[in-house]
Amino acid sequence: MPLLGSFCLLFALALAGYCFVVGVVAAVRKDAIGYRLAETARRAGMASFFAVLVAAGALVYAALTDDFSVAYILHHSNRALPGPYKFAVLWSGQEGSILFWALLLSAYGFVLRLRHKVDQRLVAMASMVLAAIQIFFLILVNFVANPFGIMDRFASDGNGLNPLLQYPEMVIHPPMLYLGYVGVSVPFAFALAALIMRYPGEKWIHITRRWTMVAWLFLTFGISLGAHWAYAVLGWGGYWGWDPVENASLLPWLSTTAFLHSVMMQEKRGMMKVWNVWLIFITFMLSILGTFLTRSGIVSSVHSFAQSSIGNWFSGFLAIIFTVCMVFYVRNRDHLRSENKLESLVSRESSFMFNNLLLLGACFAVLCGTLFPILSELVRDVKMNLGAPFYNKVMVPIGLALIFLTGVGPLLAWRNTSVGSIKRNFAIPATAALVIEIVVGFVLYKNGVRFWTDMGQMYAMMAFCLSTLVVATVTSEFIRGGIVWKNKLQTNLLAGIYQLSRRNMRRYGGYVVHFGVVLVVIGLAGAAFNQDKEQEIGKGDKVQIGSYTLIGEEYTEDDNANYRSQAALLEVYKDGKFLTRLNPEERFFKASGGQPVHIVANHSTLREDLYVVYEGLNPDTDHPIIKIIINPLVNWIWIGVLVIVMGTGMALIPNAAPVSVPVRSAVAVSQMDERGMHPAGAGK
Amino acid sequence: MKKLLKALLLPCVLVLLMGADNQEARFQNLGGKIMCTCSCSQMLLKCNHVGCPNSDQMIRELRANVARTKDDEAVLNWFRTKWGVTAVVEPSTHGFELLAWILPAAGIGLGLMLVVVVIRKWKMRPAPVSAADMNLAPDLEALRARARRETEI
Repeated sequence: MPLLGSFCLLFALALAGYCFVVGVVAAVRKDAIGYRLAETARRAGMASFFAVLVAAGALVYAALTDDFSVAYILHHSNRALPGPYKFAVLWSGQEGSILFWALLLSAYGFVLRLRHKVDQRLVAMASMVLAAIQIFFLILVNFVANPFGIMDRFASDGNGLNPLLQYPEMVIHPPMLYLGYVGVSVPFAFALAALIMRYPGEKWIHITRRWTMVAWLFLTFGISLGAHWAYAVLGWGGYWGWDPVENASLLPWLSTTAFLHSVMMQEKRGMMKVWNVWLIFITFMLSILGTFLTRSGIVSSVHSFAQSSIGNWFSGFLAIIFTVCMVFYVRNRDHLRSENKLESLVSRESSFMFNNLLLLGACFAVLCGTLFPILSELVRDVKMNLGAPFYNKVMVPIGLALIFLTGVGPLLAWRNTSVGSIKRNFAIPATAALVIEIVVGFVLYKNGVRFWTDMGQMYAMMAFCLSTLVVATVTSEFIRGGIVWKNKLQTNLLAGIYQLSRRNMRRYGGYVVHFGVVLVVIGLAGAAFNQDKEQEIGKGDKVQIGSYTLIGEEYTEDDNANYRSQAALLEVYKDGKFLTRLNPEERFFKASGGQPVHIVANHSTLREDLYVVYEGLNPDTDHPIIKIIINPLVNWIWIGVLVIVMGTGMALIPNAAPVSVPVRSAVAVSQMDERGMHPAGAGK
Repeated sequence: MKKLLKALLLPCVLVLLMGADNQEARFQNLGGKIMCTCSCSQMLLKCNHVGCPNSDQMIRELRANVARTKDDEAVLNWFRTKWGVTAVVEPSTHGFELLAWILPAAGIGLGLMLVVVVIRKWKMRPAPVSAADMNLAPDLEALRARARRETEI
């Protein structure tokens, strides 16, 4: 099997090389022979996917059959490792994860090349760009980080998978994140191809819109799974620690979000062409930078699962990408001239520009914070890491401004918005936001929370207010459009909203995404009201936190082939009534030298999570130390992510065919316009 | 415009002036800016490492410092001196570490200037003559506007 894997990787490299070189020749020739050569290049590119797939299959087979003659399997698996985690061995180490990247890249390339009829010339050029990226990863996996290296001595068992990765979400989180990172390659390939070819019109934008949304969806889902994993496994009570590797995944997410918004300016008004091309270039470079940060070990991270000197290859690759992008931009920049001008500062266009400024500003701030330790080491010879306090101070105001724009943007019209229209559109959402703010403030005050004495809680209050503004805006957009359709089709409001959404899935799917973002923001704001307590709890001991009482009932120890564990059984009472039993645990994985992992016990409701961590036995008293945290509103984050996924899925569905409705009269139509009604499709 | 700016600035200033001033809140706040130095990579008050050689001592020192002085920066500097600059994860507001605060603000400021320049440039550019600028009968214009909206993708 290792031999087959190695052969397939070499074969895949040859195929990708052929796809690239012959693709270049075909692009230069532009005749009948060139056309046939391009077709062979396309097929070679598709075949490279099967070659990489067989190689990845060979590695997974080696893991499943405990083939410890393969060095990678020896270092990342062991006999006692449960089956699904053996599958995850593929991306748990450096060599495997680069192979996994190559596999996903060739899979995306396969689909792109399969759908070549959408625009044969553009796809041929994009396929060539993708082949170039494939070559880089296949060179790495063949000559620098080969996963099929053979051990020179026999080993009866492996070193095991990193215990932190032995958690169900960890089987899904890395593939999702990688699908996002790698998915960005496709819009990048199309953008570069369109620039190289001086491709007329916005077709590349139309083609890549769905690809970008899919990549963004995977990134969003991957990041949130990682956050959930951190919350459930690391046992510190949080879900986002501003760790450099977490930041590395956030960077392309922020720039892709900016791209998904600014691309609408190009589609609707032919503006911001240079900006969009560079946004997608930067997004791709950030996704490579993310891999560089994860793999190089240049910044210290809790994600140091797979570090080596391979970082130099990535920095070289980044330099090449930047040079290529810059050369073609300088040569063909006249092709990216804007077709329209901005007519007013108070317009949808300007809201997109400010949205992009804030998203890119956030991206820059995170990048500065992430790379600051490197700068600090260069200047002062000390690697100073920046932690959550720095990021919270910088990012929370930016985040609040973004939420404000999310609420305001949809209420502004393209080109220009009149003062009357602003007053009319803002009255209800702004009133709703103020009312909710007052109600929440009053409820908190009644519960003894003096939010004005704490900066974090003040920010949280602002987040609640702005979130309400967004919800009111989104709701009013659905209702106003739904009423128009209700009247048109003589049906009820719900059916009207359904018809409205079906006719502009992208716009209304986008609003659902905004709604999901609001839920996430509310969940994040809840962190400002956390409470925690740490205490030794012997049998029958009580601990009180908020309205909860926890009583120690029993302590157990267990031992199996993979790990030994200690656990506590606690009875939980809320306001004096029995609520549930919680069983926090700590596992010590044998193959990893007894490395401990917390299995958190969490009683989760919409209102708050009761998060209980078994921290270990006090060596003096032999009693367990338990940490209890009340995390308000955390569930809103996970629900918000699901809503975002649903909204993105909705935006990916094609629009329904337009309904023909007889025009009543010119007078009626103009009256409708005066009342500011926006029939279906009045769009983003 | 000035009134609007003042109205926007006032709550911002109020928010910035607010802050925790009681000892427990200051202790919690500062504990979230100091990292446990036992190499567990966790914040001091979040370190859940039983038998940690440093966190108990550091927490005691933090309590003592919070009681000793009301100057939070002095407390952080005390920790920087005793446990090294890497013990504090919030950069200070002077010297080299000030750069960490300036860079994001400068980036966003520069971006804002760029946006303003682009908008001004666009506004000064002559608008292309489009069909929309032609004189059409009012009823035809209304129908045209509606068709444009309804057929927009």
